[in-house]
Amino acid sequence: MATLAFLFAYITPYMAVVVFFGGLAYRVFRWWRKPPAPAHLSLFPRPQSRLGRLLDALVDMFTLKGLLRVNPLLWAGGFIMHLGLLFVLVGHIRAFTDFYFLWKLLNWGKEQQHAFSAVAGTIAGTLFTIPLFYLLARRWSGAVKWLSVPEDFFVLFLLIGIALTGFHMRLLRTVEIEELHRFFAGLASFRWQPVPKSAGPAFIWHFALVQLLMVYFPFGKLSHTIGSVLSKMVARS
Amino acid sequence: MLAKFLDTIRARITRPLQYYQDICVRCGACIDACHFYVASGSPAHIPAYRMMLVKKLLQQPNHGWKGRGILGWYRETGMADERMVTELRQALWECTGCRRCSVFCPFDLDTALMVNVGRYALLQEGMGMEMAAEIGNAEVSKGEIIDALREFYVDQVRELEGRIREEWGVSDLRIPVDEPARVLYVPVVGEHAIIPLAKIFYAAQESWSLSLFTATNHSFFVGDIEKAKQAAHWIVEEARRLGVQVIAYAECGHATRTLLNFWDHWFGDEISGIQRVSVVQLVAAYLKEGRIRVREGAFDGPMTYHDPCNLGRNAGIYEEPRLLIRAVATDFRELTPNRELNWCCGGGGGMIAEPGMLEVRMKAGQPKVEQIQRTGARWVVTTCENCKTQLADLSERYGLGVEVRGVVDLIADALV
Ligand code: HEM
Ligand code: SF4
Ligand code: SF4
Repeated sequence: MATLAFLFAYITPYMAVVVFFGGLAYRVFRWWRKPPAPAHLSLFPRPQSRLGRLLDALVDMFTLKGLLRVNPLLWAGGFIMHLGLLFVLVGHIRAFTDFYFLWKLLNWGKEQQHAFSAVAGTIAGTLFTIPLFYLLARRWSGAVKWLSVPEDFFVLFLLIGIALTGFHMRLLRTVEIEELHRFFAGLASFRWQPVPKSAGPAFIWHFALVQLLMVYFPFGKLSHTIGSVLSKMVARS
Repeated sequence: MLAKFLDTIRARITRPLQYYQDICVRCGACIDACHFYVASGSPAHIPAYRMMLVKKLLQQPNHGWKGRGILGWYRETGMADERMVTELRQALWECTGCRRCSVFCPFDLDTALMVNVGRYALLQEGMGMEMAAEIGNAEVSKGEIIDALREFYVDQVRELEGRIREEWGVSDLRIPVDEPARVLYVPVVGEHAIIPLAKIFYAAQESWSLSLFTATNHSFFVGDIEKAKQAAHWIVEEARRLGVQVIAYAECGHATRTLLNFWDHWFGDEISGIQRVSVVQLVAAYLKEGRIRVREGAFDGPMTYHDPCNLGRNAGIYEEPRLLIRAVATDFRELTPNRELNWCCGGGGGMIAEPGMLEVRMKAGQPKVEQIQRTGARWVVTTCENCKTQLADLSERYGLGVEVRGVVDLIADALV
């Protein structure tokens, strides 16, 4: 167990980073290597100018307005989940550094910073997690069950696992942010520091699951993160 | 099993297809888009499932195989067994290529492109719409024997010309064939595609010529893009020979889509300087410019317009047909939904050419039937030959009692 924890804390993170970025590069290379689209595969109506089309694709990508029109329930689930994820990711900046500029601007002390983070973080986490259960339930319902393959369950369970271990730290422990900073700075500089004690046992599991996500990310359907806008531009070519 | 199928597909995976295979999140937003699925409830008709089937087969290690292993289970790679082959045929042939599912998909994923490539691959295995493929071949070889056909064709056109002159009482109406002109009009098979235009061009005093060829391109339906190009190329040659400025395609969905969206890729510089339009756009321009005039309210009764998938969401022609209809109708009612969300009629994708597909397309037309019934229309107007045939068949089968018309023949009937 201790060995495993050691591996997840100090060895596999480097591998995960390499596989994540290498994998994304490989994914893009694989796409780029294929022959281009055989014709204009546009869907209409579409904006006239090239810039207009790019903007339209980006707006649709970030708001999913096309989905809202045809399937409001799925839109709500998907949109809120992604929005929560975005907030959560932004919040995690605090694990590595801090929003020094923001705090200064607001003139907030330590107390206020922590209080704000606790509230905002919990809201973001909730926005992320609740829809995940809806998306999971959908997988067994109606015609979606015909489409569901093991990968879909794997991803959803993985994200739920990450979310729950995260909540464990947030709600049942008080994480010393300086301890986190020290740990990650140590990883980055190869001068390893102890695993943050204040975060409790969930920390190592949370960290390990995120690494699993990073390793998986470029090779499965989560590549829709970068493929989305490319595919949308095909439909606006 | 299916070795030729898989090799053909592998050789034809383009960049968009690779995106689609990789990024589809199987969210199912496309499920309710497909009229085939809505009517049948069978999984092979779910748009994303069609893509998944092909993907599963592509992931089989070296075609024939034993033992799936954990990775095989995880990736849901499939064995090409009987059931899978049946599903595959259903998935790839029972699709009208309408791309309604692409409008629903949050990534605008184009299932019809996968289907198109898959069809060509299935034909290599001898599984599929041979009839449509045969007609496609005939369209390609027509160009080689056109000199032998010309005289016969011209005779027929002269005879038709005589009849229109008599019916209309105009002795100077002409149907020019193979003559230098401003507009080359490319019809579909049958005089119903020529008569209205002969009248409209006459009224607009247009300099036009009737093509020796037809716009329809069945090779496109079966995914044989090389042959589709060859068939279309006869028209490019004709247009250049006659020095026309405009190529106008008859009311025909798939052909108009290829003309407007694919020809740049197919023919590049060869067609530079030649304007390409649907005849509906041309006639709408005549009306706007006052080159033709129509009797207002010539059609007195509820009328609705069916956006053909290939003219609507696949080519962006939404306004011109409506402009023309409003000019002659007293009670124009939109279908709901309409435009890019309009239901496909269920007759596209070359199915009309295939007698064995009649039952399939009658079933797939059910959402359309309900849509039409809700409008209470007496006339259903559209701008695609396939849609017209399908809508007329649906009307008969389901007792809709509607009359199916093309936009240009409404205008021809209402000319003053
Ligand atoms: C700009 C980036 C992204 C865009 C535009 C995007 C868009 C979408 C869309 C349109 C869907 C399908 C509909 C829905 O369920 O809402 C979807 C599903 C999903 N996305 Fe994303 N996404 C992005 C990034 C991410 C990231 C970074 C992750 C995870 C780390 C992620 C995880 C998921 C999951 C798990 C699903 C599937 C839900 C299911 O199983 O039904 N997405 N995404
Ligand atoms: S809507 Fe698009 S991403 Fe979702 S299952 Fe259908 S094809 Fe896949
Ligand atoms: S293109 Fe049309 S017929 Fe084909 S899968 Fe999509 S919705 Fe169904």
